[in-house]
Amino acid sequence: MPGIDACLADAMALPGARGAAVIEWTSGLTLGTVGEPPNGDYEVTAAELAELARLAAEHTAFGSAEPGRADGVPAEGPPGGTSGGPPGGGFPGAPPGAPPGGSVAYGSGGPGGPVPVEDLLLTTRTGYHLLRFVEDTLDGAVVVYLWLDRENGNLALARLRLRDLVAGLALI
Amino acid sequence: MSAGVSGSPGPGGAAGPAASMGPIAPADPALLPQLARLAAGRATGALSGEGGVLYLAGGRVVHAESPAAPGLEILLSAAGRLPAEGWREAVERAGARREVARHLVESGRLGGGELEICHLGALFDAAYFVLAPGGGRARFRPGAAHWLGPVRPVPAETVARESRRRRALLAAVWPHPQVDTAPVVRRTSVRAPAVPRRQRAVLDLADGRRTAVEIARLLGRPAFHTLLDLRRLAAAGHVETPRPRTSGAARAAPAGPAPDPPTPDGPSPAGSAPARPGPPGPAAAPAAPAGLAAPAGLAAPAGPAASGGSGPPEAAEASGAPARPHPAEPPAGLTDPADPDLHLLRRVRDALEAKL
Repeated sequence: MPGIDACLADAMALPGARGAAVIEWTSGLTLGTVGEPPNGDYEVTAAELAELARLAAEHTAFGSAEPGRADGVPAEGPPGGTSGGPPGGGFPGAPPGAPPGGSVAYGSGGPGGPVPVEDLLLTTRTGYHLLRFVEDTLDGAVVVYLWLDRENGNLALARLRLRDLVAGLALI
Repeated sequence: MSAGVSGSPGPGGAAGPAASMGPIAPADPALLPQLARLAAGRATGALSGEGGVLYLAGGRVVHAESPAAPGLEILLSAAGRLPAEGWREAVERAGARREVARHLVESGRLGGGELEICHLGALFDAAYFVLAPGGGRARFRPGAAHWLGPVRPVPAETVARESRRRRALLAAVWPHPQVDTAPVVRRTSVRAPAVPRRQRAVLDLADGRRTAVEIARLLGRPAFHTLLDLRRLAAAGHVETPRPRTSGAARAAPAGPAPDPPTPDGPSPAGSAPARPGPPGPAAAPAAPAGLAAPAGLAAPAGPAASGGSGPPEAAEASGAPARPHPAEPPAGLTDPADPDLHLLRRVRDALEAKL
């Protein structure tokens, strides 16, 4: 039931929380922000976070170890990661002719499959930065960002709480 | 409902409504000043241009639709979050009182946060096309409201700024707007890097006929995401970058036989406006660097429109091709390498250059 603003407000209630945002990383669009951005400018922050999210989501290193098969069936998902994507990508209108040969490596999960990454945690001298992918919404195109100051922030607590908050976005 | 994207306390009041939209560049659509006025006046109604419609309530944008953008219904059903039946039922029950969005949440079909996210995604997606340059005159219908009802209204200034940012982003990735509207043609190149997952889905649907907008609709993704994916694919050499459109544009065979032209096909968009993958055709490689100046010249430059609009400006006047992608439109951006006009102009250019 809770919307974007409620989710952000709850995130800010965490000890040490300095700022939070909901970002559609596929386009770089900022959907909502609260608190202060780490570098003083949310638009720049959003663009940088979008790049980070994109690299994590698209990088084959964080997904399946094997490239996808030529017939479009995705390779097995990563252990402990998201449940496997639908076979053959599963998106409507899948073309009859997949590209011949495995000359191009797939990212994990096959085309259109779920994002293999759940969250990113980044620690600096002064802060913790968390980026959580919103599963099952817009095909994993959205992340929720939270940053805490190092002194008061508790990374483990924040990670679990953020996980729950993000799941709550889709709750009915 | 909250006041949309936070961060800045409302559009600059002191500077006046037009200034709050940011400086209005020549390439900006005629829609922008009108939007600024309506926002300042806290208007409610529908602002329609060639690219689609923006719905305003109290001066804020509450909804947007465009023929180029798949729209909320498709985004929700493609994600598997809402079956078609659920959508239909909500429209039947709550459409007349214009509260379909609220009904979807209250009836337990969708989470509130997820609806906000998807709706905003659809709103900004459509708004990008509505606010595309060259949109022509717009019409405002006061009082008109959409049956979806408000979800999370956004300041008009935010929508304008975001559309501008998106155009700049497309240009920064690969400054060739003809990629947006042309049928997508795959390129095989052993030197190209691996295709990331999401882009792979786009590439798989490229059959030489479908355009970006059609592919987005099939995937159930926002159209802008697909435009961006295609620019990246083109920059990496996985899809063809057609020539900028000329007045003699005709449907042509995909660019010639040479699989790996000498032009850079790695992802290096910066400063490579003249260089594009795909052999130039009969004028051939030696003339390539100079040759590219000629098409740009006679094509009434794609330069100013390289800020990422969905087509070169002169496309608006030629054969009714609108300045934004439309599925039914004849393919834009492909020129016949044997086009006699082009060939003549090349000969003239060569002759002139020989005299320098």
